[in-house]
Amino acid sequence: MRRAIGLLAVFASLLAATGATAQVGRPQEYEVKAAYLYSFGKFVEWPAPSTPAESASFLVCVLGQDPFGPTLDETVVDAVVRDRPVVIRRVTRAEDAVTCQVVFISASEDAALEPALTILGRSPVLTVGDLPRFAERGGMVEFVVQASRVRFAVNRSAAEAAGLALSSELLRVATRVLGTPGAGR
Amino acid sequence: MPASKSLIARKLTRLIVLASGTALVFASLVLMIEDFLSFRATMVRNRSIQAQIVGSNTVTALVFDDPEAAEQTLMALAAAPRIEAAGLYRPDGQIFASYVRSASVDRLVFPGLPAGTGTSHVFDFPRHLHVVHPIVLEGTPIGAVYIRSDLEELVDRIVRYALLIGGVLILSIGAALLVSGVLRRSISQPIVELAEVATRVSEGRDYSVRPKLSGEGEIAVLVSAFGEMLTQIQARDRSLQESHDLLEQRVQTRTSELHALNKELEAFCYSVSHDLRSPLRSIDGFSLALLEDHGDVLPQEGREHLQRIRAATQRMGMLIDDLLNLSRITRTSLHTETVDMSGLARAAAAELAAVQPDRHVDVSIQDGMTASGDARLVRLVYDNLIGNAWKFTSRQPAARIEVGTANRDGIAAFFVRDNGAGFDPAYADRLFGVFQRLHAMTDFPGTGVGLAIVDRIIHRHGGRVWADGAVGRGATFYFTLAPAPAGRPPAPPTA
Repeated sequence: MRRAIGLLAVFASLLAATGATAQVGRPQEYEVKAAYLYSFGKFVEWPAPSTPAESASFLVCVLGQDPFGPTLDETVVDAVVRDRPVVIRRVTRAEDAVTCQVVFISASEDAALEPALTILGRSPVLTVGDLPRFAERGGMVEFVVQASRVRFAVNRSAAEAAGLALSSELLRVATRVLGTPGAGR
Repeated sequence: MPASKSLIARKLTRLIVLASGTALVFASLVLMIEDFLSFRATMVRNRSIQAQIVGSNTVTALVFDDPEAAEQTLMALAAAPRIEAAGLYRPDGQIFASYVRSASVDRLVFPGLPAGTGTSHVFDFPRHLHVVHPIVLEGTPIGAVYIRSDLEELVDRIVRYALLIGGVLILSIGAALLVSGVLRRSISQPIVELAEVATRVSEGRDYSVRPKLSGEGEIAVLVSAFGEMLTQIQARDRSLQESHDLLEQRVQTRTSELHALNKELEAFCYSVSHDLRSPLRSIDGFSLALLEDHGDVLPQEGREHLQRIRAATQRMGMLIDDLLNLSRITRTSLHTETVDMSGLARAAAAELAAVQPDRHVDVSIQDGMTASGDARLVRLVYDNLIGNAWKFTSRQPAARIEVGTANRDGIAAFFVRDNGAGFDPAYADRLFGVFQRLHAMTDFPGTGVGLAIVDRIIHRHGGRVWADGAVGRGATFYFTLAPAPAGRPPAPPTA
């Protein structure tokens, strides 16, 4: 019996170790973030799409300087969210990103973050970023690295204000949840 | 319940206990199986639902690689104490998060992902129930929940059920014994009493006992019918005894009457025979006197007539002597002893040869013949039979007489055989009658009483006599001196 528990412990530590090595270094970190980026789409409810073009694909946009490199495109090959193929679009202006479902706001947009969030906040767009205090500044999902693992914080009020509903499942695994439920409505 | 000697009471009790016990066990088993199946179904359903809940609650943990969150979700399974262990697995079978109830639980072994997207289970009675629920996100399998629970509850339930059945069974057997005690009084008791009465009747031949009438229905009918039957048997028995007594009495009366009559008849016969002799002697005597004193004055014809009178009177004297002998045989009692048959036959033959020394007869007598009988009377039998043979072979140039024993149908019979004149078998039944003669007086003289005497002697010994022969071919007379063995009819005369 004790041997069994011991084996389990070994299993767990092995798992932790592989996780740790996977998160070491930038490329690995952004690989994870790329996967998470479109996966958020599975736990967020958008309002019904207004045009057929919008419903054709699931648009994931990168605003500003792309930190992913080719990783993002490689990750989303064959990826499907809500029966729509995931399409990557890189934009430089916030106005160009309002039709996207998910926008990753690059660290390069640090200075113009608030105006960009204001523009995007008028449309049902999930804003994701890895700038420090991104959620506190009005972003919806903020990547944080804890113990060499990629985690995320959530600003629920901001999401609800934009007409998005975050699933409780997503909130469960978030490291921080800002805002009270229903506050944005 | 007190122990009973009665087999029927025991059988009734056994029947009741067996019937009620069987019904109870059968019904309980059906209920138990039904309960087992429904409990199992409920258990599988509950575990499946729990697996589904865990699965939907750990989707994000799997997607966003958060084993701590997953483990926390799994911890909620502690609310179900029968869940031994649970695990969350990635599609490649690698464990992602696990839960064990206590350290004493077996190692968690993932049974593998089920083929479909539905929940599957393995019921490994009486140890475990394994439930595997695949976690699918938007058509893509991202992992699986595996829950293993022990079946202690189910086993407990079965044990409890078995104990309950056993308890109820014991109680119901007790109740059945009580009930059978009551039933015994109403069913088996009258039958037992009836059986006792029947035994008393058959052992003691006492038809006056009557079974006590109790209860109602078929048994009461049986009891009263048995009583009625006994009454009838008793009545029949009595009338049978009465008629038997009457018959006995009648037979005795008739027998004594018959005896008296017979005695009277014999006395009459004797006195008649005796009284006839003196006038006969006078006729003979005076005929002789007439011949001797006055023969010379009588013509030749007169003398011849007188000679005829004398011959007739002498013959009549012989007849009377034979009749007296016959009645004497009937009246004298038997003195049974072992008789030397050969010796008697030889004496008889020797006497005949002495009377007629001029005749040459070849007489052969078997040696060592013995029998049980009255020697005087048996001598008389041989006298008559050998005498007859002697007489009827008188015309034979080479007369031969044979005396011996022969086995006739399993019975040792004595015989006297000759090669004389023989007789017509058609008249064989008349041979042994008094004064019955099959030959003319002129051929072979005789009174016709000899064989009647033989017949009477043989019958007094309880034996049989019969004859065998044909005209001109000799005759054989057979006789036995004892009754034929029981169960075997005496051999019929062959002629």
